[in-house]
Amino acid sequence: MTEPTPVPFLDVPMLLEHSQPAPRTAWFWYGLGTFVLVVMLSAYASTQSPEMATLVRMLSGLIMVGLMVGMGLITWFAVKAQRSERLQLEAAEELVSLRRWPQAAVLLEAMLMRPTRSPGARVQALIYLSTVLARYHRFDDAISVQNHLLDNVMMDSGTSHALRLGRAMAMLRSDHLFDADRAISDLRRSTRRAEERNSEDVEDSDGSGTTPTPTFESAGLALIEVYRDVKTGHPAEAIEMFTAKLPILRQQLGHRSGDAYALVAKAYDLLGRSDAAQDAFEKATLLSPVDELNRRYPEVLSLSEKYNAALAPSAA
Amino acid sequence: MITAEHAISRFRRDLTLGAAVRFALLGAALLCVLVGPFFGKRFDSTIALFVIGMVWLVLSFRSARNSQQTAMFPSLIAAGQYDVAEQQIERTLNTFSMFKSVKVLSLHNLAMLRHAQNRYQESAMLCRALLGQRLGPLDHLTKTSRLILADDLLELNDSAGAYEAIAELYNYRLTLGEALRLLYVEQDYLWRIGAWDRMFAGINTKVQLAEILPTPQSARTQALLSLAAKKLNRTDWSDWLRRRVELLTDVQSLIGQRPVLRELWN
Repeated sequence: MTEPTPVPFLDVPMLLEHSQPAPRTAWFWYGLGTFVLVVMLSAYASTQSPEMATLVRMLSGLIMVGLMVGMGLITWFAVKAQRSERLQLEAAEELVSLRRWPQAAVLLEAMLMRPTRSPGARVQALIYLSTVLARYHRFDDAISVQNHLLDNVMMDSGTSHALRLGRAMAMLRSDHLFDADRAISDLRRSTRRAEERNSEDVEDSDGSGTTPTPTFESAGLALIEVYRDVKTGHPAEAIEMFTAKLPILRQQLGHRSGDAYALVAKAYDLLGRSDAAQDAFEKATLLSPVDELNRRYPEVLSLSEKYNAALAPSAA
Repeated sequence: MITAEHAISRFRRDLTLGAAVRFALLGAALLCVLVGPFFGKRFDSTIALFVIGMVWLVLSFRSARNSQQTAMFPSLIAAGQYDVAEQQIERTLNTFSMFKSVKVLSLHNLAMLRHAQNRYQESAMLCRALLGQRLGPLDHLTKTSRLILADDLLELNDSAGAYEAIAELYNYRLTLGEALRLLYVEQDYLWRIGAWDRMFAGINTKVQLAEILPTPQSARTQALLSLAAKKLNRTDWSDWLRRRVELLTDVQSLIGQRPVLRELWN
């Protein structure tokens, strides 16, 4: 007797394949054919006798009402199924936000093991899946999901930018430094293009009434560049980038700006500037727990032995 | 720019008109089926039913297209593109739709837009108009509308009205996003009535949740929690939260929004 092959947890190629929405059946042509057949039969029957014509009229009326009711029921079931899928996606989003990774992984696996009802739901679930994979340090798998999405799906610029950021971070974490550098250059170019477009809009708004949009600066990109500089042994550049981008890091990343403080603490430490490193490390641990920072960036692991973390208050 | 009063009257009129058209079409279809055969050759009920079906399909298609447009409004508002959102909401509100959901979503999005534009009086008026309706399958909008209304009323210094809106929310099961927003609004209400104990209760969970809020809201919520801790002489919590807030936002602008927070930096 052969042992069944164990299915691996979050098998990415399988999930990518199985989650493809099923192609729609061409019901339209079947429907049209049936309709023409019914019309021809009823026309023939109507010519046979006045009683038959009355019967055909009554039957066709009932069929019409039946069709309307049937369409209503089909729509109702479709809406119900779509709502259920939306609720699952909302649950996945909540679990990811609350960092309940095992539950999020199980839910996403269950969702992606069968065809999703809409391409949008699949894209959203795959984006969450890439986050979960990165959390489990399966960076190559995360990159393959992100590549699949970026290569095959048309997305709005914000989502695409976020995915590229996630991919660049995963590349850095998995030591694909050449690829990461290229990804960062691409991100810089696209950010610059967005800034140029915005400045054109601002200039244009004086004449044509186009709404000016705020200047686009990416704190996520700044964080990745700081990480790249720390990882490749360029602490001075990391500190320079951090100092220049601190306002947007604070504004856009909120508590995640703790990551940038932790990385800049490492940069100060590499330069032997202990006081500045202590100050930055304290700020980092004020915003994020030490364990979380160590998990995200193994490079800062040594800091907790050398510097004091911010003291969290005792439980209330 | 569409006024709240005009939007509400248009909304009510279109709901009535939409319902009338729906019932008229369904009634006509039933009449064709039940009474049509008795007219004999003078009246062909099949053709009449076909015409009714086509009218229904065309109107449904128009409504579905409007419904698709309403899905874009929240992202436009979130991106700060208020002018574009305003134009599109106005267009959808002024277009006839056979189904209630399109009108309800448009009015809801207009309330969100007015809230984002700090026009709290109008936003509150729109939320109240929406809450006065039976929303059926769109009942989840009730929670968001109540949260917006509570925030509007707090900005208008109507604590009693805000309390009513908040209290109703405890009857619902909230999503994480709604629970976060409730935390933000509720802390803003509780300091006004000096309920420092209630603010401090469950502070561990509240701080964890506040960390997930967008930065400005996170900073304000943690600052208010820090104030509550200070009032209760829990200086460890108060100092820790205050220092976090200093890293998250510009303290002067925060004090500008809520002058009571000046006490933390005295």
